[in-house]
Amino acid sequence: MAEPSDRIGSETVASAEKGKMTLFRDDRQEDWGAILVAIIVIAIIVVMTR
Amino acid sequence: MNAESERGFVQKLLSAAPGLALIVITLVVLRLWVEPWMATSVVFGQKGWLVNSMHLNYILLGIIAGMLYRNLLFGGKLPAIFADGFRLSRLLIKTGIILLGSLYTVQAIVKLGAMAIFLIGGFVVLSIVMVLWLSRFFKMDRSMTAVLANACGICGVSAAVATAPAVEAKASHVAYAIATILGFGIVTMFVSPFVGHALGLTDLQYGAWIGTGILNSGQVLAAALAFNPKVAPGTAVSVGEIWNIMRVISIPFAVFAVTVWYWAGESKRQGAAAQKTLGTLLVEKFPVFVLGFLVMVLLTSIGAFGDVGIKGGPPASDTIKMLRLWMTWIFGFGLVGLGGYIDFKELAQAGGAPLKVGLIVGVTKYVLALIVVLAIKDYLIEI
Repeated sequence: MAEPSDRIGSETVASAEKGKMTLFRDDRQEDWGAILVAIIVIAIIVVMTR
Repeated sequence: MNAESERGFVQKLLSAAPGLALIVITLVVLRLWVEPWMATSVVFGQKGWLVNSMHLNYILLGIIAGMLYRNLLFGGKLPAIFADGFRLSRLLIKTGIILLGSLYTVQAIVKLGAMAIFLIGGFVVLSIVMVLWLSRFFKMDRSMTAVLANACGICGVSAAVATAPAVEAKASHVAYAIATILGFGIVTMFVSPFVGHALGLTDLQYGAWIGTGILNSGQVLAAALAFNPKVAPGTAVSVGEIWNIMRVISIPFAVFAVTVWYWAGESKRQGAAAQKTLGTLLVEKFPVFVLGFLVMVLLTSIGAFGDVGIKGGPPASDTIKMLRLWMTWIFGFGLVGLGGYIDFKELAQAGGAPLKVGLIVGVTKYVLALIVVLAIKDYLIEI
């Protein structure tokens, strides 16, 4: 079986910066980002429906 | 450190604007114009055939649009101007899952607990053991086996990435595992709604099935919303996601178990230094966004957002109604982005023994989950 690391695009989802599925440094930072966005969304909705 | 990582985060956010705009415009067009048009258009002599018989909705169309952007319109790679926007798709999905906590109460989750832990735990263990067992017959590398075991057992991409450093896996092992499970997941994502409707499954049965049987978190979400785009207590997405979250929580435990298996078979020379304790793995790998989800459940339970609109109770408050509406949009944006990350060329990397093992385990889990859910349908707990 040929190693995919020999092929174009093999750096794929997890390893290389250019192939990463996230703008964040890692999963943990993305998790905190999601919590922050959720807080902002909730705050906006609570203010709008008060 | 390369130029990419030296960029400030604010700069990255600004650079995400064009991609995000493309995602938003795509979903607005699909949801506000294309879906209503499909619902009234006549195909094969039937009004609304695309919606009623093909079960097409803005969620499925959004994922397809993302896939077409990448693989057809942009020739296999997202242009730099749009790439950063699409990289926000997982953030949006995680945000939506945190907000999804407003569909549940602590009492409902406790009620669900034992059954969900039993079923989810059973399927996680079954998948991992199957991969470890099959790897002997297919003579797979131990690192590859360990990564694939957790990718098939828990939630695909995150589990594969979390396991890789602990078992000395190469980037190519992660690539094989991810390509295999995402390839299989794409098929299940599109097939499941048809099977669910054909079998006449309820939202409860369908959500329990896909929450257990589909390998990847994003694809569980997509399959649930494709079956029923409504976000409310008891709908497919509320059932599927709570089961899926139970599985996501098990990541550190599964990483630990598979790491122990890996090092038990390796020579002692590196083992002592490279193994991590369960405590360390819990601190390092626990998906923190799940805490956000749990806080949301707690706030909902104490009535912070008003009535939640559970069947038989008072109607949902305006805040809860608006939260649910926003969730459908946030999930929709995230899933268009997810579609943009499905790269047919990368999927073609899957092959050989990992593909065979992944498919055997994936299909077994998918079919067995349906059989089990149908067998215990009278005992499934509505939340």
